[in-house]
Amino acid sequence: MAAVYKTLSGDSNKHEKGTEGRKNRQRVLILSSRGVTYRHRHLLQDLYNLMPHSRKEAKLDTKTKLYQLNELAELYNCNNVLFFEARKGKDLYAWMSKPPNGPTVKMYIQNIHTMEELNFIGNCLKGSRPILSFDAAFEKQAHLRVIKELFTQMFGVPKTSRKVKPFVDHVMGFTIADGKVWVRVYQISESEPGKKKPAANGEAEETAPAPKKKKGGEYDVELVEIGPRFVMTPIVIQESSFGGPIIYENKQFVSPNQIRADLRKAKAGRYNQRTEAQLENKLKRGELGLNTHGGRKKEKDPLSDSVLFA
Amino acid sequence: MARSKLKSALDQYRGRNIRLEKQRKKEKEARKRKEQRQAANQDGGNEGAQVEEQKKQEEEGEEVAVKANGQTKNKAQAKTNGAAKDAEAVGEPDWETDDSEEELDSEEERTKANLAKLEDSDSEGSSEDDADDDGEEQEGAAEEEEEDIPLSDIESLASADKEDVVPHQRLTINNTTALTAALNRISLPYSKLAFSEHQSITSDEPTEIADVDDDLNRELAFYKQSLAAVKDARAKLKQEGVPFSRPADYFAEMVKSDEHMGKIKQKLIDDAAAKKAAAEARRQRDLKKFGKQVQVAKLQERAKEKRETLEKINILKRKRQGADPTNATEDDDLFDVELDNAAKSDRRRDSSGKQPNFKRQKKDAKYGFGGKKRHAKSNDAFSTSDTRGPKRVKTKAKAQRPGKSRRAKKV
Repeated sequence: MAAVYKTLSGDSNKHEKGTEGRKNRQRVLILSSRGVTYRHRHLLQDLYNLMPHSRKEAKLDTKTKLYQLNELAELYNCNNVLFFEARKGKDLYAWMSKPPNGPTVKMYIQNIHTMEELNFIGNCLKGSRPILSFDAAFEKQAHLRVIKELFTQMFGVPKTSRKVKPFVDHVMGFTIADGKVWVRVYQISESEPGKKKPAANGEAEETAPAPKKKKGGEYDVELVEIGPRFVMTPIVIQESSFGGPIIYENKQFVSPNQIRADLRKAKAGRYNQRTEAQLENKLKRGELGLNTHGGRKKEKDPLSDSVLFA
Repeated sequence: MARSKLKSALDQYRGRNIRLEKQRKKEKEARKRKEQRQAANQDGGNEGAQVEEQKKQEEEGEEVAVKANGQTKNKAQAKTNGAAKDAEAVGEPDWETDDSEEELDSEEERTKANLAKLEDSDSEGSSEDDADDDGEEQEGAAEEEEEDIPLSDIESLASADKEDVVPHQRLTINNTTALTAALNRISLPYSKLAFSEHQSITSDEPTEIADVDDDLNRELAFYKQSLAAVKDARAKLKQEGVPFSRPADYFAEMVKSDEHMGKIKQKLIDDAAAKKAAAEARRQRDLKKFGKQVQVAKLQERAKEKRETLEKINILKRKRQGADPTNATEDDDLFDVELDNAAKSDRRRDSSGKQPNFKRQKKDAKYGFGGKKRHAKSNDAFSTSDTRGPKRVKTKAKAQRPGKSRRAKKV
């Protein structure tokens, strides 16, 4: 179908090519490490579905020799690598790199909700090109600018991609809040202003507050969420691809291991405090003579049966 | 006792040394800090005024503390000597607990020394630096306390205190030049590219999210950002002549399969059904709750009706006796007639209203109830002259079985 459309509207495309010499060519290698959970795998699958210019690869065996990814990318003619590293079967880290010598960003991914489990009614063409919507905060800091550029090249589908479909029917939103990057994907649904469909879904929060502004008096633009949802915390930026000096480190990032350990210790601390308090209380009561024997063991009665008839 | 004395003497000897060293160190630090601050603070006159003010406050505080009794001397000491004393306490914990008398003694000595110092500063004003340094020291200590609490120490704190503490932070690496270089290396030549090549839009104003945990407002902010971007991009793409909206007759594979969409639809239907069922159940529960009240109300209504009819009858009875002078008008008369009729019918029903049931009637007819029973079946003049034949009992004709041919036809 796409091919048919291309042939039908080929002349306009050619005209476009004629005016613009430069091309945006991107190919993304998507893969994960071993030990991902089903949810991580589904997220990967969702992203793969949304990115027609990507190539999925088998799980990488190693978590230490990540420089192997550079060769792998070269093998598949990819100039972007999106590598998901799972740790402890629960934490997911994303490495975004531009081999052979671009920077590498390592991010911690949390709050993952895949399309499968979200039950959003939005849908879009497989292989259509998204609009990438960035928060203005991305322009404020150097490391965020780098991250934005990486996102643009990784998630933006180039025009010349092989499996691309000709329309624009979804938007990817990247927003910075709380030092993290929040990612959302929406379908763009246009409706004629007269016929407004009632929102017959649980996502009333998504559709209800949409300000209805007429765009050129033609259409109402509305967004319906598709999924997936996830939040990324940038941790480290390396200068070259999976190697090189660290040029940015997020000092506010606390590793999930640390958080879990703290929680555990806090719990243990609570127990210790309680037992200490109990002991103290007992001693105090003993000193005040409130306990039967002053908190001490009863002294042996010299006249008791056990002593007399021992 | 002898042992403790020895120990205390030793401690005193050693403690003095340590204290001196520490004080010296602190002074150095304070001086450094002061210099830095002065460099930062360009407004020299203002700064000087501030310092003087600080000093004044300092002195006042000291005076107050010194005036208080022996117990509070300790506190004063703690205040004036600040961090140095803290360090001591941490370093030699048994020093305080074991021989507190000795400590008190030494404390007194120290306070004396301090008093002397104070007097100096009061009278001469030449030892400004000292007091100043003291103040600086205190500030420095406070700052250090605010900043430098390692994570390992936090666990021992109560959870309530934990929130106020800023934990140790890692060394910041933010090599802006390297980042910019990396960016320049990879960035697309946006100025030369058409918008349709990259389709990325950065919002004009940063998305403000007051509370990240407030799901509704957060999602709304995301939505608004994306919507604005879509409108912007739509205009740009239309300008460049790129097809934007998908025509209704363009069918192709979607990101979510039909199966998946069906699942979502089913989920929505199920949700709606569940909601409906819940509402119905609630209604039923309410009915059950109020059912009793409804029944009681109905019974009361019936009783009321009965009472009213009885009253009506009573009125009529009284009227029959002709003792009611109030019914003079025509309307009343007319109305009364009606009432009369109603009452009559009512009475008849009342008197013979309760018909015995059908079975009883039949039995009465057969076996007799009231009246003469004899000769009831014997002929009399009328029956003899009756010319009608005996009554024929009409038996219901059984439907004849149709003939074979017809039966065959039927089937």
